[in-house]
Amino acid sequence: MKLLPLKSASTFSLFIVATALCAMLLAGCGSDQPKEQAEQAAPEAPAAPQKVTLKLAIDADPTSLDPHVQLSGGMLQLSHMVFDPLVRYDSKDMHFVPRLAERWERIDDLTMRFYLRKGVKFHSGNDFTAQDVAFTLERLKMSDDYKGLFEPFVAVNIVDDHTVDLVTAKPYGLALNMATYIFPLDKQFYTGIDDKGLEKDRIVKTDYSFANENESGTGPFAVTYREHGVRTVFTRFADYWDKNGNVDEIVLTPIKNDATRVAALLSGGVDFIMPVPPQDLDRIGNTQGLKLITMSGTRIITMQLNGERNPALKDPKVRLAMAYAYDNHGVVEKIMNNFATAAGQMSPDGYVGYNPELTPRFDMEKAQALMAESTFPDGFEATMIAPNNRYVNDAQIAEAFVSMMSRLNIKISLKTMPKAQYWDEFDAQVADIQMIGWHADTEDSGNFYEFLSMCRNAETGYGQYNSGSYCNPRVDELTLAAQTETDLDKRAAMLQEVEKIQYDEAGFIPLHWQNLSWASKDSMNTEEIVNVMDFPYFGDLIVE
Amino acid sequence: MFAFAMKRILQAVIVMLIISLIGFAIKHNFGDPVRDLVGQRVTPAERAEIREKLGLNDPFMVQYVRFLGAAVQGDLGQSYFFKRPASEVIIRKAPATLELVFCASLIIVLLSVPLGIYSAIRPKTLFSRFIMGGSIVGVSIPVFLTAILLIYIFSVELNWLPSFGRGKTVMLFGWWDTGLLTVDGLLHLIMPSIALSSIMLPLFIRLIRSEMMEVLESEYVKYAWAKGLKPRRVWWVHAFKNTLLPVITVGGVQLGIMVAFTILTETVFQWQGMGSMFIESVERSDTSLMVAYLVFVGFVFVLVNTMVDIIYGLVNPTVRVAGRK
Amino acid sequence: MQTRWTRFKESYMLHSFLRDPVALCSFIILATLVFSAFAAPVIAPHNPYDSRTINVMDARTPPSWSEGGSTKFLMGTDAQGRDILSTMLYGMRVSLIIGVGAVCLQAFIGIIVGLVSGYIRRLDTILMRIADVQLSFSTYMVAIFIGAIVQTAFGVAGYNKVAVPLLIVIIGLAEWPQYARTVRASVLAERKKEYVEAARVIGLPRIRIMWRHILPNTLSPVLVISTVQVANAIMSEAALSFLGLGMPVTQPSLGSLITAGFQYIFSGSWWITIFPGVLLVTLILVINLLGDWLRDFLNPKLYKG
Repeated sequence: MKLLPLKSASTFSLFIVATALCAMLLAGCGSDQPKEQAEQAAPEAPAAPQKVTLKLAIDADPTSLDPHVQLSGGMLQLSHMVFDPLVRYDSKDMHFVPRLAERWERIDDLTMRFYLRKGVKFHSGNDFTAQDVAFTLERLKMSDDYKGLFEPFVAVNIVDDHTVDLVTAKPYGLALNMATYIFPLDKQFYTGIDDKGLEKDRIVKTDYSFANENESGTGPFAVTYREHGVRTVFTRFADYWDKNGNVDEIVLTPIKNDATRVAALLSGGVDFIMPVPPQDLDRIGNTQGLKLITMSGTRIITMQLNGERNPALKDPKVRLAMAYAYDNHGVVEKIMNNFATAAGQMSPDGYVGYNPELTPRFDMEKAQALMAESTFPDGFEATMIAPNNRYVNDAQIAEAFVSMMSRLNIKISLKTMPKAQYWDEFDAQVADIQMIGWHADTEDSGNFYEFLSMCRNAETGYGQYNSGSYCNPRVDELTLAAQTETDLDKRAAMLQEVEKIQYDEAGFIPLHWQNLSWASKDSMNTEEIVNVMDFPYFGDLIVE
Repeated sequence: MFAFAMKRILQAVIVMLIISLIGFAIKHNFGDPVRDLVGQRVTPAERAEIREKLGLNDPFMVQYVRFLGAAVQGDLGQSYFFKRPASEVIIRKAPATLELVFCASLIIVLLSVPLGIYSAIRPKTLFSRFIMGGSIVGVSIPVFLTAILLIYIFSVELNWLPSFGRGKTVMLFGWWDTGLLTVDGLLHLIMPSIALSSIMLPLFIRLIRSEMMEVLESEYVKYAWAKGLKPRRVWWVHAFKNTLLPVITVGGVQLGIMVAFTILTETVFQWQGMGSMFIESVERSDTSLMVAYLVFVGFVFVLVNTMVDIIYGLVNPTVRVAGRK
Repeated sequence: MQTRWTRFKESYMLHSFLRDPVALCSFIILATLVFSAFAAPVIAPHNPYDSRTINVMDARTPPSWSEGGSTKFLMGTDAQGRDILSTMLYGMRVSLIIGVGAVCLQAFIGIIVGLVSGYIRRLDTILMRIADVQLSFSTYMVAIFIGAIVQTAFGVAGYNKVAVPLLIVIIGLAEWPQYARTVRASVLAERKKEYVEAARVIGLPRIRIMWRHILPNTLSPVLVISTVQVANAIMSEAALSFLGLGMPVTQPSLGSLITAGFQYIFSGSWWITIFPGVLLVTLILVINLLGDWLRDFLNPKLYKG
């Protein structure tokens, strides 16, 4: 008797499943017609000056309020909101525009003079002077992350309250590039002892420090509330010297998950997201009331081939064959959803080392021919590692690479892992083929070669991320010579020669430059504040 | 009795030691936390120096003993990412998770009791069959799939409910950050609670139903019917009361399991609680925080388990050390 | 053989099974799914493990019946250009192997621990204490922790090869207490009975009593929880893969397919996540339905009324 109800209950369950499945399918199909409208940010209310709040979602929360604690994209984004640099890159092209330095001049080969803006105030109310610049540079040289970049600088000479000289030991062509990293800190504010009895200017990565939790910069926004990893509120600094932009408050919420971040924008939960995952570009682009901005980026993604570990990868023919077998455009189109620029070299267009002749060279027949001529005509086996949460679609790209190489009968066993574990394995060179992406923090080609293609040398630190152990003395020679060359044309020729050598030898396999993307409500001038370095200048944002 | 309690407490201590050891072994193998703290320019030598400063180069046992020494005094180490004591981070995140678990439990209790009872006393009605059918479908859908579908339907397509985070929260007593007191906070709670309850609700409905049916078959309920009592009284006073005990016992265990499910739910909804904190600390190699979370959760479970055991032992002397069923 | 077959044919079990349309239906669906999963190399139109046949240019092709679809790929392709249908079949095979494997391991450990602790009182307390603690920690946590340790312990090339056995071990280790408790409870009930006393009196060794006399009598509850546990194990594997701790992308299980597809759900490529999702739910559902029937059938409580 008692079996009966259960049985019929089960019949019903089958019916319910069917309904549920239909519902799921319908929900899925529904996405074919993106028709929804995102909420308007501000209702039409021209008269009353209303507080303009920007709800911003980023994939990661800046790790600290201390700009010198870590050199990373997130920290630089924060720095441009809360602090302000001496000079910065223009958001259209890569030229330098004055910020806290009103103008600058080269006094001699070693000295660069900056004339500072007058009447600028810190969030604490203190005045900004040359003292603060000197203090900041000193602190930069103490930071683990920045001291490498600022090594060429040997002295800061204060000429008067609003004039300062930066002196390098050797002629140095990138002094202005470095000035974009000088975000003056409030010397008075960061000097002394805090209420825990510790010095206020300590740079501490893992523990409490005054600077990690308090800030006084000259930037457009002051941090008024911060719950690390949950929410940060930036309030417009009333005394900010630059009156561009009308955002009074920014509420930053980190949303790590790509799909959730997109859902938040689509449902009107936030007004501005970055980055936009490539698979959702179309959807956001097609949604009314939203605006999507993409830009060709400068981060190169490459595969390094280790000939020391795997003899097959030492064969120049094999290396070339692999370079020919990789379909850069195919991956860019299909996996990256055109959200990348296929690359034939490391330097992106606009960098001095960019050599327009070196284009992606996918040609499967040529690849197979090269492979047949090589010492491994029947293919070989190799190991490969790639991260799965570091670069855009990194794991998928790695898989595509494996499947393309398999057409040359190269059997690759691939392991992808989170970045937390990846870099140790990368350094230990555990696999024959390893993936790495690189962004030149000096925005200069030389930086690529110094870290990725010069011969590995533990003492000088060159080739630190050259896990393929590629080594060509000519590349080393040219890269080093370019460091002190101040004639820009000569320098460009040197750097372009490096690219050519690497291309001809297939020193590595270039995949693409990752694009950058931002999406927001269309009532903002988003396109004017974003730039190729991915530091949106939120101070200039205007919301209608 | 005292000996019994002591024995239980001793066991609890041993279990905690094992948990902390396992946790620490993970920490030791998990990759280098320094990686996530430095930029690409920092040389291996400088990284080694930072590791040295953090004491990460010491032998395993030295680090472990140091950790135990500090843990006894309530110091679970320092979170590298948050740059604060790990225990402080966990306590800040706890309200979010507890509120989520609370709301999900509320949904479970409010729905499973009436539905379970109804389907037990009226097993043949259409509605009962619907409940039972629905419940078996319910157990078969993984939590993360439920969560994804909820977001897709209610946030993206219909735009009714917020898809992420906790919304507006209010600080209570200076440390309990609650989302229960604002409309916005409550709206944010709806989908995560439903998703979290979706896996347990069917289990409870089925449990209540089968226990209730069993009780309804028992002699004393038959006797109650025979006495001519009103159905309402038989169901609620005689049957339901006796159904409750096993349900509560099982419910205790399930509560622990629910805390684990919060990891999944919080990940999908970007709910800023302990679960997503744990997954993020795994991704950032914030190993100290990982270990701290593990030890903290282990401690809570062991504490609850031990207390339940002792109380159980007090109430029911036949159980004692022999263990419970 | 003949007699055994006739006995089975005339058994009440078969009779009741054939009379129950849902059980029969579930069984047929399950059998079809299992068959197609294991026959995947033969029946699947493509081989998702053979990277030579995959072309990135085919990526995210919609199902054949919708606009832009291709008859080559019945249910469309995923972000790699793999045929969804074939990948699902192979993925289901991985999920099933892991599910069944994990349950075998759970049952093995659980039954031994249950027998020992039910029969040898001295070990009972400590074994059950371990089981308690582990149960309260729940599968996911234990699995996440073990998974995290082991993943780091294996090198690069290693992980792909050991992923399946590894997940079996992880999920197996995480849920054995379920069995241990069930077996122990029935052992406690059985050991009081006369036949055990009798066996002891004739002086049979303990092992033999446990193995030949007590164990067979505890098997029906074990059978019942096994079905539920297979469903649970498949779900655990899916959840682990969802968190990135499960099967690698190159050898996807249903769980990792759903995860991979989740990224694309807002971009309109719903088929990557919905089809594996539907298959996963169906698979778990039919196993649960069969489990239900088995419980009703084997559970003597239901007949006492």
